[in-house]
Amino acid sequence: MNARRISLWVALLLALLGVSGALWRAQVRQQVRLTHGDSLWRVRYAVDFYAEKRGARLHLASPMDTARSRVFRRETYHRGLTPARHMAGTRNQREIDLAAEREGALRVTAQFDIHVSPESRWRVWGASEGLTAQTNAASGIVASTLAPLQARAAASNLVATLFHFCADDIAEGAVDDPGDVETILARKAAPPGGKARALVALCRAAHIPARIVAGFELDSDDAARPIIWTEILQEKKWGAYDPERDVAGTLPPNFVPVRRDATELAWGTSVRDMKTTFSIEALPPPPGVLATGRRTVWEILDLTRLPLETHQVMALILLIPLGALVTAFFRTVVGLGTFGTFTPTLLALSFVYADWHTGLFVFAVVMVLGLASRSLVERLKLLVVPRLSVILTLVVLCMAFCISLLDYAHLTPTPQAVLLPMVILTMTIERYFINMEEDGMRIAFQRFLLTLLVACCCYLVLRWNTVGHFLLAYPEIHLVTIAVLILIGRYTGYRLTELWRFRDLTVPAEQRAGPP
Amino acid sequence: MKRGWAWPGELRRAGVLGINRRNLDLVLPYNPRANFPGVDDKLQTKRFCEQRGISVPRTLAVIARQGDIQRFASLVTAHDEFVIKPASGCEGRGIIVIAGRRGAHWLSSSGEEWSLDELRYHLSAILSGLYSLGGQDDHAIVEQRIVRHPIFADLAVGGTPDIRIILYRGVPMMAMVRLPTRQSRGRANLHQGAVAAAIHLVTGETFGGVHLGRAIAAHPDTGAQLAGRRMPSWEIILASATRLAEVLGLGYVGVDFVLDASGLPVVLEANARPGLAIQVAHGFGLAKRIEWIDRHVADAMPRAELLAQLAALG
Repeated sequence: MNARRISLWVALLLALLGVSGALWRAQVRQQVRLTHGDSLWRVRYAVDFYAEKRGARLHLASPMDTARSRVFRRETYHRGLTPARHMAGTRNQREIDLAAEREGALRVTAQFDIHVSPESRWRVWGASEGLTAQTNAASGIVASTLAPLQARAAASNLVATLFHFCADDIAEGAVDDPGDVETILARKAAPPGGKARALVALCRAAHIPARIVAGFELDSDDAARPIIWTEILQEKKWGAYDPERDVAGTLPPNFVPVRRDATELAWGTSVRDMKTTFSIEALPPPPGVLATGRRTVWEILDLTRLPLETHQVMALILLIPLGALVTAFFRTVVGLGTFGTFTPTLLALSFVYADWHTGLFVFAVVMVLGLASRSLVERLKLLVVPRLSVILTLVVLCMAFCISLLDYAHLTPTPQAVLLPMVILTMTIERYFINMEEDGMRIAFQRFLLTLLVACCCYLVLRWNTVGHFLLAYPEIHLVTIAVLILIGRYTGYRLTELWRFRDLTVPAEQRAGPP
Repeated sequence: MKRGWAWPGELRRAGVLGINRRNLDLVLPYNPRANFPGVDDKLQTKRFCEQRGISVPRTLAVIARQGDIQRFASLVTAHDEFVIKPASGCEGRGIIVIAGRRGAHWLSSSGEEWSLDELRYHLSAILSGLYSLGGQDDHAIVEQRIVRHPIFADLAVGGTPDIRIILYRGVPMMAMVRLPTRQSRGRANLHQGAVAAAIHLVTGETFGGVHLGRAIAAHPDTGAQLAGRRMPSWEIILASATRLAEVLGLGYVGVDFVLDASGLPVVLEANARPGLAIQVAHGFGLAKRIEWIDRHVADAMPRAELLAQLAALG
């Protein structure tokens, strides 16, 4: 069997495997692996507000993952708003960040499906343990409340004393009671959430780091309200304390934290008349719940199981092969030469990290400045590696000031937008320069434009978020990608550019100067 | 009425070989990767040639370490003319032809002045792999400059023409002569603007012609007709190319010769992926000749007849 036939069979086999794998997975996809005692919940936010201008921002805090709860699906409906990309940011404080496309009344709904387990099952990503929280000097009524409590308690159980004071000595007031700590301590009555605030104030006054946490107690409720509790740092570990519900030390599994150091779960800039409602419902256990056992090694094959923070990046990584596919197509079927094989894919990737006009702007500025500095550096006659490093340094400086310039023009790019392209650009500048010296300006510029063109085509593929998330759910589709690449790799037909290149050869021999 | 492109069917009928087919059907099966160093490293190619009694330009010095660059001036004191080239360069990159001196400076064949510092810098760029195939560290070769044969006096501007023979399974299949132009700045590389003329396999006489991918009949700078020049020592060229292809162990290879002033052919380099522009110079494709060789390579046919039949194929 020759290579051509083997390639065909392999491609066919891979394509079949990929498609059938994806179909099989689609069958079992809905099943979340549950162990006995686990439960599934859906928390829904509905936010109505009025955007005062185009570009008004709305932020929603998403429930966090803990050792015993994990968000496994998130859906947002936001007509009239576009998501602003957040690749980094504090890891456990995932925000949905939306920008209004127009002025006017808008509605955003978001739902989070949460898997709760009675025992610790998951490693918490970006654990919050190391965070510091401020401590305040006591003043006024806080100090005068704290002093007798401090005197009564031994140093080791001051936290317990403060907790019991807030839980037992402060009465539960009405919802519309004043919520500031001074009034609470003076009246010894607190609205919902007030006790937690008072506990934080007292702890901080006693120089014990403490912070407010807003979250949900999962329990079916059409008009749920976020609850507020306190986290106190003791012996380098944050413990949860809720003086209202008498929780001290560890969090019950059905308490899901959403936001730390603040109590609003939805907030915005340039918005008014904001009205947020929450609902919580228990989801029915998916089919197969009793059949599946404990965690198995096969879970590894399910990428959607990964924490949500990684989804965006994973989806992008999984799109890279499609970029390579586009490049392979352009090079072997169309026949366009580019600087470097995967430069276009990587460039496109960097455009995806930024929005494309920031990317293109940075790209253009850096190319121009890079080429200018390259021709200056040329005069210094340096060895290759130091010379490349000098250009890299200059490119880094250009980038830094580009960011500053964009910020000055109120275009605030994300720093990640410019992180990736730097090294690629340095190499591209070097290649461009050599190409320019050897083959002349015209060919180099032509090749540069072709690189950009292929990069744009790659970009159109890579920005396809839906496809990325589809690939995250069905990564075996990439077996089909490999199959297509194998077929391209066995393509012996003419390249499109050759139809132009060899066009003179179709003139009949009689009309040409033939062999003597 | 002129169309700007050709349909694939038309190209197939004209026997045009495309790059994809060249790579998959010729380079991959007939050129084992293990034999690539013989062509990718010009020092090795030279060694092969010398073993088989094929002429190559005399090596004046090989510079292998950055430290040797300091001694460069003393290496070339005895020579006013020489060529500096990277041992693993491609597409003629990084080659400097020095044709004389003016005071403390050297003059390249295209008339540029080079100071000692500039030459040293160029050498160090070669050593650090700027021009090498994969960007790995490289050696620089300093060798004798070949003075061109008078037959090319009105056919080449600013450089030395070379003669390329493409061999398939050990049989010379097509040949062309590449002529530098002002545009190519003395280089014989077609994509940089050099002109090529086809050479008849049996007679060694030129015909056809190509410049920047278009068929032409006269040299763009001198206006001299490209057709009808008979290459000196044509038999020696064919014999040397065949011998070299055999020792290189490559089934699809291009061998580049230059003719020195006395008409002696000298091998400059060999190429395991020779380009396809030779087809445009001929006005017809390689495919028919490839098929013919595939059918007849096993026949014990006298060499002259083999070439005559090949040349007659068109």
